[in-house]
Amino acid sequence: MIRLMERLPHDLYRADQVREMDRVAIEEHGIPGSTLMSRAGEAAFKAMRGHWPRARRIAVFCGSGNNGGDGYIVARLAHEAGLSVTLYHLGERERLGGDALSASEQATHAGLEALPYNGEPLDGQDLIVDALLGTGLSGEVAGAWRGAIESINASGLPVIALDIPSGLNADTGAVLGAAVKARMTVTFIALKAGLFTASGPGYCGELRFADLGVDPAVYVGHTPACRRIDAGLIRQALPARPSHSHKGDFGHVLVVGGNRGFAGAAKLAAEAAVRTGAGLVSIATHPEHAGLLSVTRPELMSHAIASAEQLTPLIRRASVIAIGPGLGQDGWARALLARVLESQLPLVLDADALNLLAADPMRHDNWVLTPHPGEAARLLGSSSSEVQRERFLAAASIEASYGGTVVLKGAGSIVQTEGTIPEVCHGGNPGMASGGMGDLLTGIIAGLVAQGLDLQAAARVGVVLHARAGDVAAQEGERGMLAADLLPVLRTLVNP
Amino acid sequence: MSIDSTRLELLLEDSAATEALGARLAGCVAGGCLIHLHGELGAGKTTLVRGFLRGRGYSGAVKSPTYTLVESYPFECDTVYHFDLYRLGDPEELEYMGIRDYLDQSAVCLVEWPQRGEGVLPQADLEVYLEYRRAGRALRVQANTPAGEALVECLQEHPVS
Repeated sequence: MIRLMERLPHDLYRADQVREMDRVAIEEHGIPGSTLMSRAGEAAFKAMRGHWPRARRIAVFCGSGNNGGDGYIVARLAHEAGLSVTLYHLGERERLGGDALSASEQATHAGLEALPYNGEPLDGQDLIVDALLGTGLSGEVAGAWRGAIESINASGLPVIALDIPSGLNADTGAVLGAAVKARMTVTFIALKAGLFTASGPGYCGELRFADLGVDPAVYVGHTPACRRIDAGLIRQALPARPSHSHKGDFGHVLVVGGNRGFAGAAKLAAEAAVRTGAGLVSIATHPEHAGLLSVTRPELMSHAIASAEQLTPLIRRASVIAIGPGLGQDGWARALLARVLESQLPLVLDADALNLLAADPMRHDNWVLTPHPGEAARLLGSSSSEVQRERFLAAASIEASYGGTVVLKGAGSIVQTEGTIPEVCHGGNPGMASGGMGDLLTGIIAGLVAQGLDLQAAARVGVVLHARAGDVAAQEGERGMLAADLLPVLRTLVNP
Repeated sequence: MSIDSTRLELLLEDSAATEALGARLAGCVAGGCLIHLHGELGAGKTTLVRGFLRGRGYSGAVKSPTYTLVESYPFECDTVYHFDLYRLGDPEELEYMGIRDYLDQSAVCLVEWPQRGEGVLPQADLEVYLEYRRAGRALRVQANTPAGEALVECLQEHPVS
């Protein structure tokens, strides 16, 4: 009955939607709440045993809500399996009600005593089970709860979180003051959007899903808050090429950027476009280094551009323009951007092109904007911490003001196009927080547009390719990874 | 299309259709009114407002008011206010910002995320719901007042071109 899904579903929901599904499963499909709680506990216990078969001593932290109830089930099952279980509770035990109260009583009958947690050291344990706070949390975590979360994190022990790491906002992925950093999270009924963006991916660890055997009808009527995108998209979007192909079939990317001293950014974007399969790639860059770029990578056609008029013949030959990497914000940059914005071609705007756009806002439907949280904040007149607090909101708001397709970069990149459900990619890794990674994404998306993908598809597939390439490259170590390390991987990935 | 003058349902194929509907709505509005716009993030609420403003002849940038709460667009004879209450912490905050003044001056107020202002926001003349569909979006309109009914009737008489 209890299945841990091999593959995660693609539909993600908000906490209030999952609560409603829970209610419908209980009230309309006649599964008692206690049964759902038992199944949740069993699923988590199974995942824990599968992953840490040698863990003998575990500490289980239970809160006073239903999440705590799931924890009491895990504690009892572990105890019955012969593990040494230390059971801690937080909050007033008297507040336990309904199914959670029954679950705690079953644990007591089995011979487990729940102790209040007062900051005891956790050394000597092999594993911690986090069942403190569930998806209903919205305010900041404080007091004893915060203390417990900090102790758990400070212990350095592996943690398995039930449903969601305590302290994480289930809708936004923001940390509410403090959150448990889990090695694994087993989530129930439906995937919550906040597990996939902002701090979500970093705090969840490996994510497992158990639907608890609810009838698929409980999902009906809930429009997902967003959809998960993963590497499965790549094969679908990039079929093998016909043998009689010509370079002209795969478009011509024009990369505009590389102001004085910033040649590298434009070169990385251009190389990414080539490695993604664009037929031809030209670079329009500062005269200072245009010649150098042609020498170091002869496949790229580098053009010295001193004034905006010189762009015109290049634009005429291009099928898509990527502008921004290393562009700068001086008069040269502004003139080039203004000329590019006059063109009817599909555009990808990044980096300084976004900063210039923020200073002089306009709307356009035929572009992809790829801001990181700082650029997003400038586009919105907000701050990057505000952006990170509600990433889905920020992406939707940029799209509403500026149009086109918006890719909000950072952990759990969000792809937002008007009138469609937002998409989130939880691939990628902290090793990608280094210079040049954004330039690659710009080039990848432009390279896909050149090959005929529409802007939304190019953004979606580009984000997935970029994350996947980063994850493959990181197998040799996240720290010290270069943006250029992703280029050879990209080539493999675009030939699935 | 139903003949009930309190409600209207339409399918909007793309954002251009949403914008066109907004422009039609602008053509129907005769005086001050309060219109609530419901829909998920990215459903096209701001697109509808942009259409509304384009319908009024405004050609400048239309910014999402998510981070500013309200954007105002003065016209010769009145002002259109575009609210986004998503980030409102408490409906009471609307009192502090003088929401009554906005509503009393026979202005046109288009309010996204009105549920965040429940209890303080008065009843809307018109509720507009935008929902995702497999292709495009579904638009549902519900009139709550005689002024709202007049808007629905006007929308029914002038189908999308």
